[in-house]
Amino acid sequence: MRQLRLLIIAMLLSTVAFAQTRQVTGSVKDSKSGAGLPTVTVLVKGKSVATISGGDGSFTLKGAPESAFQLQFSLVGYTTRTIEVAAGQNSVSITLDESATQLGELVVTALGIAKDNSKLGYSVAKVGGELMTKARETNVALSLGGRVSGVNVHGSSGGPGSSARILLRGMPSMNSGGAPLFVINGVPMDNTQRGAAGEWGGADAGDGIGNLNPDDIEDMTVLKGQAASALYGARAANGVILITTKSGKKGTFSVDYNMNYAVDKAIDFTDWQYTYGQGTGGVKPANASGAQGTTRLSWGGKLDGSSFTQFDGKSYTYSAYKDNIAKFYRPGPTFTNTVSMSSGGDKGTFRLSLSNLDNQSIVRNSGLNRKSINLNVEQNITPKLNVKVMANYIDELQKNKPQLSDGPLNVNNGLFIANNINEKILDPGYDANGAEVLWTDDNYVTNPWFVINRYINNIGRKRLISAVTVKYNLTDWLYASGRIGYDYENDRILKIEPTGTDYTKNQNYSNQTGSYNLQTPFAGQLNGDVFLGVSNKNITKDLVISGVVGGNILKNNTENVTISGSPFIVNYLYTPTNVYTFNRSYTYTKKESHSGYYSVDLNWKTYLNLSTTGRYDAFSTLAGTGIPNSQLGIFTPSVSGSFVFSELHKLPKMSYGKIRASYAQTSGEPVQPYQTMVYYGLESTINGIPTGRFSNNLPSGLLKPFTVTEVEVGAELKWFDNRLGLDVAYFHRKTKNEIMKANFSLATGYSAGYVPTGSTMNKGLEVMITGTPITNKDFNWNVSLNLTSVKNEILHTDNFNNTITLGTDRPNHGSVYSAYEVGKAGPQILGYDYKWDAKGNMIVDDGGLPVQGDLKSWGTVLPTLYGGLNNDFSYKNITLSFLVDFNYGNKIISATKAYSIYRGLNKETLNGRETGITTGVYESGAANTKTVTSQAYYQAIFNRNITGPLSVLNGDYIKLRQLTLGYTLNEKLFGSVPLIRSINVSLVGRNLWTIMRKSDIIDPEAGFSTLVSYAGIEGTGVPSARTYGVNVNVKFK
Amino acid sequence: MKRYFIYIGLAGLLMQSASCTKNFQEINTDPTQTSADLYNPNYLLTSAQHAFSSQGYNMFLFEGFWTQIMASTSSLTSNYLSNGDKYVATSGTSDYQGRIWNTDYGSTDLFYTGAGNLVAEAITLTKDDPSKVNLTATCMIMKAMILQQATDVYGDVPYSQAFQGKTGITQPVYDKQEEIYNSIFNDLTTAIGMFDASKTLVTGDLYYGGDITKWKKFAYSLMLRAAMRLTKVAPATAQTWAEKAAAGGVFTSTADDAYTKVQSTNGHDNAQARVYGTDLYQTRWSKTLIDYLKANADPRLGVVSEVPQAGLAANKVTTAGNTTASAQQGLPNGYDLNGGPTDVTKEPNYPGSTGTGDDETPLGKYSRPLASVYTNLNSPIFVLTYAQTELLLAEAAARGWNVGGTAATHYAAGTIAGLTSLSTLGSALTISSTTATTWAALHPLDVTSTTASLKQINEQYWATTGIQFNYIETWFNWRRSGYPVLTPVVYDANFTGGQIPRRQLYPVTEASLNGTNYKAGVTGLSAGDTWVSRVWWDPAS
Repeated sequence: MRQLRLLIIAMLLSTVAFAQTRQVTGSVKDSKSGAGLPTVTVLVKGKSVATISGGDGSFTLKGAPESAFQLQFSLVGYTTRTIEVAAGQNSVSITLDESATQLGELVVTALGIAKDNSKLGYSVAKVGGELMTKARETNVALSLGGRVSGVNVHGSSGGPGSSARILLRGMPSMNSGGAPLFVINGVPMDNTQRGAAGEWGGADAGDGIGNLNPDDIEDMTVLKGQAASALYGARAANGVILITTKSGKKGTFSVDYNMNYAVDKAIDFTDWQYTYGQGTGGVKPANASGAQGTTRLSWGGKLDGSSFTQFDGKSYTYSAYKDNIAKFYRPGPTFTNTVSMSSGGDKGTFRLSLSNLDNQSIVRNSGLNRKSINLNVEQNITPKLNVKVMANYIDELQKNKPQLSDGPLNVNNGLFIANNINEKILDPGYDANGAEVLWTDDNYVTNPWFVINRYINNIGRKRLISAVTVKYNLTDWLYASGRIGYDYENDRILKIEPTGTDYTKNQNYSNQTGSYNLQTPFAGQLNGDVFLGVSNKNITKDLVISGVVGGNILKNNTENVTISGSPFIVNYLYTPTNVYTFNRSYTYTKKESHSGYYSVDLNWKTYLNLSTTGRYDAFSTLAGTGIPNSQLGIFTPSVSGSFVFSELHKLPKMSYGKIRASYAQTSGEPVQPYQTMVYYGLESTINGIPTGRFSNNLPSGLLKPFTVTEVEVGAELKWFDNRLGLDVAYFHRKTKNEIMKANFSLATGYSAGYVPTGSTMNKGLEVMITGTPITNKDFNWNVSLNLTSVKNEILHTDNFNNTITLGTDRPNHGSVYSAYEVGKAGPQILGYDYKWDAKGNMIVDDGGLPVQGDLKSWGTVLPTLYGGLNNDFSYKNITLSFLVDFNYGNKIISATKAYSIYRGLNKETLNGRETGITTGVYESGAANTKTVTSQAYYQAIFNRNITGPLSVLNGDYIKLRQLTLGYTLNEKLFGSVPLIRSINVSLVGRNLWTIMRKSDIIDPEAGFSTLVSYAGIEGTGVPSARTYGVNVNVKFK
Repeated sequence: MKRYFIYIGLAGLLMQSASCTKNFQEINTDPTQTSADLYNPNYLLTSAQHAFSSQGYNMFLFEGFWTQIMASTSSLTSNYLSNGDKYVATSGTSDYQGRIWNTDYGSTDLFYTGAGNLVAEAITLTKDDPSKVNLTATCMIMKAMILQQATDVYGDVPYSQAFQGKTGITQPVYDKQEEIYNSIFNDLTTAIGMFDASKTLVTGDLYYGGDITKWKKFAYSLMLRAAMRLTKVAPATAQTWAEKAAAGGVFTSTADDAYTKVQSTNGHDNAQARVYGTDLYQTRWSKTLIDYLKANADPRLGVVSEVPQAGLAANKVTTAGNTTASAQQGLPNGYDLNGGPTDVTKEPNYPGSTGTGDDETPLGKYSRPLASVYTNLNSPIFVLTYAQTELLLAEAAARGWNVGGTAATHYAAGTIAGLTSLSTLGSALTISSTTATTWAALHPLDVTSTTASLKQINEQYWATTGIQFNYIETWFNWRRSGYPVLTPVVYDANFTGGQIPRRQLYPVTEASLNGTNYKAGVTGLSAGDTWVSRVWWDPAS
């Protein structure tokens, strides 16, 4: 009773502002290791007096009451402890226990809130930054491939700096582009794909995630399911990847230097025939002009070593030449140097890094340079007010980015050169007057050496990603947080069709050539969040509540000025004023979304957890005349729960067991603004008379936000003191009201329009098995296997449920293409088959040539089963890691296959070279008696658009993706050496070995675009490369 | 505690602002474009006229060669010309087959497509505004002409429900060609009656600058041309409308010629000139045409044609060649450069190559369209001419229809106009009216029989439109009249079984985007959606 009275008095006193205070010092240590614990919040309960422990766990608390009080110590991952400090006691020393559930790691979840993994009702996965820095990719996203279940990543055949296609749990919806939202230190960043190749050419200009320097990334957390990402609302429909950048550590000062040197080497997947050489009709070229018409045709005579006149008028031996890919593409080194400085004190941390990446592509005269500066500062302005600032500046230049797919200015045109030609004879590609030397019968297939020596396609970007986060602890359980992020991109794309380019000859201007095109796109994304949060507030002894309520505003705008002109007046002077005719264009877009959200987590004891979130989004892109406001917004809820049954019942051998389940909805909006009305525009005048146009897209007032609804159930189980782990998740997700760009018959007056009718379903199973088969003092072996099985089905497309055509390539144009077809997995390959009779005989026409049969579905371009096997070995100071990944169930539309057949390079075309081909039956059922030449037969398949059976390949593969072998010279060795603390040297390799593939003449991963609409379509791109290198990391004292 | 309330209040405010969508409509309005109320629909007419004239590869690739006006060895840089010269498909065929559709229907993308759509939209924007009646009428005539081309190329096509996406018709029905022709006649009649000189004149007209008198003549001339299309299938209808057209008042001189003036420097070039220029050194006048001109001692022979200077380099530029009539030789269709039996060097009259070594060109001695004019990107494009009109009147008269005048006088006027109007394309093609009149007098119409007259008239029509680079009209009239009698090229793996194509396949996308109606459209064809199927007005016998 006396105590109670004292307490009441103490509490009353403590609220009096002029109460006397004292200083208490002390230390906090880990109960197990005894190490000092930094960043522990030390708080006088019931008062706004607090401090944070320093790097060694020590703290000094000023302004503590003179009387006895309760002092609370809290640190994420540790059980919060409260002790009594008696009056007159000036020092405190305590230890904290790791949370009982600290089996799983702490993971960053939506809004940057760190949560204990064991409490989550959905699946998340973390990938450490160290996996991306040793064996590298120029686009860091590619390093995610094979690492965690549910994630599928592929690049393009576009050369260094190209984009990545990242799909979480399959293709989420038809038009969302597929890529997840990237959130860097709590702020969404732009990941727009900046331009890609299609069947008519183009270059892969890269994406947003590829700008980041892997050395700055602490880790990435993949929020695969909708429950995990629901708090991000519309933008999270494809899942979310949270990136945490490296920051300084408390109590340390360090300087790190990392050097990475790696060399790309082109891989030759072709396996041509080398029996018959250049020519047509079974004979070698008779003269120079005949040779020019056949430089890409190997339908000639037997390669007999005789001599013949090539298109250049010179005489060559008519014999096989096999080294074009090895010789034409050079070894491409990438040299990356990163220096970082970091320190941390009682009040804050600091990290600054500078990095330079210098890459030379395997394509000569092409490469990538990237300079990055990353600054991460955190400061406790007062014990309650914490400010974090992140600024990441990137200056990137992709030099002479290769054109892909189609012929014009494509440096890879030589891939289908006749099998007896050494491509070197095309060097330098221009004549004494600087004019392109035509090497084929088609001037739109540019001389590859001319491209190397003359083409300019420079894609520059200056980008600042910045984020400021302010957090104010109102009490020990209530905080307010605000965050402003701005992602600002200024690009400069200079594309020159150089003087001498044959197809640009302009008869109007004395056959002058070339063109100038400069684009200066700007993109800005402003993201503002304010929220009020409750952290771990005990409602009762066993029930803890956490949560947030907040709002978000997102503003996007873009602006692009393009100036272009052609042809050049003065040769080789590439300026926008040195042109006979010029054009300019201007585009501008702006969109905004406003959102409000809440999240509540309830934890019962240590084993039962329930979370719910809700978000309301309203989108400017849906607004228009006559469209009610109610149609602009949508509320989407989620609920998830988990039960750690191992906490309740100890099972033999089992060290941890959790089951979880979730239901969630997110929403999405139209990607483009200004689609709700018809616009009328002006174009240039004709002799002073203005010309006009109007929208090609049919506007629709019927649109509403689409929704993604997902149900996920899963379990996380560990045995044998955590040495064996299993994480399983089953998900089922469905979209509704997807905003579809429906194509219309051009007779409607509109080529396309938007309809709210799409629906996509994905269901699948993710399995992750982790194990530590061996662990002892010197030797450790960790292994993990992840696999994902996804079944996609297009449930509904546009308003007529039409098949929606996506992409194709040049040789298969009109014959094979990808599309969304109802009832099939998307994108599905559709292509014409041969015509067959009821008995299964191929039908030919009177001339003995195959005829076009039905349009058939050949399979999806996206894998249905994929994953990776990681192995990490360490023996004393030596580490060895390798990653094997695999991909099954997808098909490829192969231009390489098509061209190689059409051009007589493929071994299949050896069939009937001498005897001709007599096959199939006539429509009447009678056997065909007409013999046609091999060339006529195979070329007819193309000319008649029946390439389905030939061009569609199986995309299955298993690859040894990454290998690192490292040795660390550790601190002990450098004890007396000044400066250096430790050195790690690693030998690294990427894409080393294709263990298995079913596509005989191509890399099954090849593709000229990472857009979903062009997934699985390959040909005439930069060859895939193997990468070997060394990584040296030096830590300084 | 007060502070908490403030923050909770703030959060509440935020939630409030989240649902604030007041300025969203303004944000979602494109500041770089305009809405209908601020727009002058004349601009749409201008675009439509240029788009409709920008047929480029649409017809150069196919009809330019099918009609044997042009010929190509279809190799080297122009291997896609095998579609026209030899009816052999290339990888682009499925794209090319839909291009006229895209021009006549189509979205209004970049000048070259959507001609019909542009005028249809202009009609929609003006039809309720009596002050703009002249623009409405002009656009109705344009629309009739544009969709007539579409039906002539493909067969049954959307007409009554075309261009109505905005009203929710996203799968327009294909009207029967017979009904389309009825609609064309009626629409032209209606439009002619709508013109009102007291109302605002059309400002966006590239043909006549809004001259109502000329537009009426244009509409009647178009009516005549449409009527004559039906001579094979419905002669009575043809006669009715041809006579109405003649009575209404058709073109009376080359001053009435309708052509599109272009301005290359502003991105509005002559697409036909552009594509010929691209394929200059592999494209020649065909033997069929040159032989025809030679046989008639036609004055055009020494004007429209030249043998380039020797050597490949000279063949690739527009430098003037030898225009002497006697030096001209046409390239026969169906030859290639592949060294086999159809290699051009095996051609019976092969004149030999020019140039030597790297500069050698096997086609050097064949005649090409006068490059300085036919590759001129600023050269006007003929749409409908007095020469055509007179030749059609000649046929109508030869058939005994009441169109005024005799077949012979109409024929003479047509041939003279065909010669003199060429100067519109470029002054280098000037043929004086004296030369033309003298020659016409020496080559009068053969009136010994109707058949002989029809043959001569339609051969002249073929040469006249062909030399005007208006091959699509050349092809329509050849299909209708059967003249001149052309010998098809027979080449391996052609897509017609060795016949000259009589239509183009529907665009490949129609089957999926408008499947039901597409299928109904195909039933209107004699042999399905093939190159040799016959449309309604082109029955086999």
